[in-house]
Amino acid sequence: MKSFSPQAKTLLFAFLLLALFFVYGGLFYPHSADLPSGGSLEEPSSAHWLGTDDLGVDLYAQLSAGFFSSMAVGLAAAAFAFLLGGLAGVLAGLSSGTADAFLSFLIQLFLSLPQLPVMVVIGAFFGQSAWNIILIVSLFSWAPIAKVLRARVRQIRGRPYLRLAKSYGGRAGYLVSAHMLGELLPLLSVSALSVVGKAIVQEASLAYLGLSDPLSRSWGLLIQKCVSFPGIYFTPYWKWWLLPPVFALVLTVLCLRLFSRELETIWRREESDAAGA
Amino acid sequence: MKRYLAWSLALLIAVSGCAAPPASSEASGAAEASPSGTQAENGRVPVLRLAGGTDWGAPSVYLHASRGPGNAKKDLIFASLLEADEKGIVGWMAESWKVDGNDYTFTLHPDAKFHDGEPLTAEDVAFTIDYYRQFPPVNNPLGAGESFLISGYEVLDPQRIKISVNRSDAVTLTALGGFEILPKHIWERVEDPMTYSEPDAFIGSGAYCFSSYDGAAGSYEFTAFDGFCAGEPAADRIQFVPVSDELLAFENGEIDIAGLPADLFERYASDPSIGMIEKANDMGYKLLINFEKHPEFLELAMREGLYQALDRQAVVDKVFRGMGAAGSAGYAPPGSIYYNENCVQYPYEPEKAAALFAGKGISVAMIAANSGNDVKIAELVKNDLTAAGIEVEVVAYDSAVRDEMVNAGDYEFALVGNGGWGGKAPAYLRTIFSDLSKNRGGNPHSMGPIGYSSERITELAEAQQLETDFDRRVEIFQELQLEISREIPLVVIATQSSYSIYRKDYYDGWMKTYDYQQAEQNRLSYLKRG
Repeated sequence: MKSFSPQAKTLLFAFLLLALFFVYGGLFYPHSADLPSGGSLEEPSSAHWLGTDDLGVDLYAQLSAGFFSSMAVGLAAAAFAFLLGGLAGVLAGLSSGTADAFLSFLIQLFLSLPQLPVMVVIGAFFGQSAWNIILIVSLFSWAPIAKVLRARVRQIRGRPYLRLAKSYGGRAGYLVSAHMLGELLPLLSVSALSVVGKAIVQEASLAYLGLSDPLSRSWGLLIQKCVSFPGIYFTPYWKWWLLPPVFALVLTVLCLRLFSRELETIWRREESDAAGA
Repeated sequence: MKRYLAWSLALLIAVSGCAAPPASSEASGAAEASPSGTQAENGRVPVLRLAGGTDWGAPSVYLHASRGPGNAKKDLIFASLLEADEKGIVGWMAESWKVDGNDYTFTLHPDAKFHDGEPLTAEDVAFTIDYYRQFPPVNNPLGAGESFLISGYEVLDPQRIKISVNRSDAVTLTALGGFEILPKHIWERVEDPMTYSEPDAFIGSGAYCFSSYDGAAGSYEFTAFDGFCAGEPAADRIQFVPVSDELLAFENGEIDIAGLPADLFERYASDPSIGMIEKANDMGYKLLINFEKHPEFLELAMREGLYQALDRQAVVDKVFRGMGAAGSAGYAPPGSIYYNENCVQYPYEPEKAAALFAGKGISVAMIAANSGNDVKIAELVKNDLTAAGIEVEVVAYDSAVRDEMVNAGDYEFALVGNGGWGGKAPAYLRTIFSDLSKNRGGNPHSMGPIGYSSERITELAEAQQLETDFDRRVEIFQELQLEISREIPLVVIATQSSYSIYRKDYYDGWMKTYDYQQAEQNRLSYLKRG
């Protein structure tokens, strides 16, 4: 934390503020995110901070519930990408010949597949559930991580101290855990963090396209329901129905992306400092 | 589907009376940018554009989707013997007809011909009857198998055919006049009509020729048929174009008619250049129970409990934005001349429902469509039933998939919405409720309760059809509704009223028939009218 730049600290603070806002809405705000608690399309007031939707369900409560489901999908996808991408990257980096060619092919395959169309097809096939969304998003998140990690492992493994350790009989597992992990973890963490933002956008896209549970609370679904309201742009409703989820989505993803970029910059600077020393 | 269809058809069009499509869509798009374009010399508007974007199937008699919008597109291309206008039945491919007991003699229009220039004769009508007996089309007024309506026919001469039925009833003439006539010279070669999509599958004798169809985009185009015998097309072309927001597209002049959202009624009602057509309580939603999977609902009190649990007025207020009515438990909506106001009323009594369902541990899966108002209504129904103690899991599907599941009986509870409830004689009460007739067709007007049977309802539902005296038939319909409201074979949620708006100065021909309220789905709306 000490080595964080002022920008990184600001971003982290902004994200925490945003999270706090939604945590309040999810845990302490009196209205339910699932059941109607007011009249149809009530404008924002002290009773309903962000107004209500056409069914009379409070929008702040829905937005907060959407934050939790978005973050859950984002974090789960990031964890999956962290594990699978890390494992595939290290294995590909350490192996050679056919095994490396196969793993590299697999990585390239997932990198080159057009994501959204394939996600839509898989989503439609597996049906509507949060777990399926996590699975689909994860499936398309591990390959970029595996690719950078493979390159990094290849770079490290030629170093003299590793060759020495290997000549003393060090096995692959030992070499990775004792001599490589320290260098790999920051890269892996930063890459996985960037998956969170991407996963949130992908989850919103799939929900918008109608591939999530239609009764669940997610930002994508909230946006979709609002824009499909007949004549929405000729009514005042879009101001409190459409803008909050769009801003929430943009702000959250922006914070996460910029924060992960900041971390990457810091990590690279530290690394080059270390190399210079 | 099939861009090649358009190209292949260009050849056919060149030798027929169909107006040629424009050389390029870009060029035509530029010319049509202003909706207030003047009418052409032939008195037609250059193009009528409607909101598309949904795939309603290819517009042939075997390939279109079974719901109204799919049927309407097929209706532009194909023609039947009779049609209906504002007042009643009128001639279409038949210029006159005579009823003599169980025999119906139709005299065809002497100029009747198909889009490829071949004359339409009594032989084509006879061929179509035999062909439909063997291969029932999607929209099938003649019935199938043993219940096939026609017992025989006799081709009297190229212009006249006598069709006989076993027993004539109140709807026989409509049914005989309602099937689309196929060109014999094309379909006699076709052995598998269900998959036949060659360009000539789209040759009919209707007022418009097929020009293009793209299922993925949900776009359709039809061109005027100059050789149409029963009237004069009102537009050179009809297009269904994909739009993201119907009203925005209407405001931008991209389409010529659009649904009017309830919240914006005042905005357009006061504009003298805007025409409006009302569809009173025409869209309705019902909750179907599969009694085979939930036999506990065979007990009447349990079905009454469902009505007590549901705040149906909330559906009208919140989902329909006030335009509509909590449905009559007798099914036919208020406003219809057949409506029975004495049907049993079921007010919203959540406490009673909760007391009834408490401790029973009932859990149901409810299927719904994943679009339109269906999801919202499903959410309200789920909330209400959950509050009453019934656990509900909502699973939403594409509406075509939902329809297939309902037709296959693959559901526990099903939320089904469809148009066509208002305005017409509720003949659908027979196809939904009669044990002898329900679940026979693929469309929502024949989706009835599975595993439930009632002698009295069946008797009344079948009797109304045999009754040719109008007043007596209305009485039977009212008695039937009363019985349905007492027995509750299904739960009527609510009916929705809506309006379509259009620019009067561009095209003012939109109309409703005496028994159908959907102006956009009615082929007379696309003809010049005196």
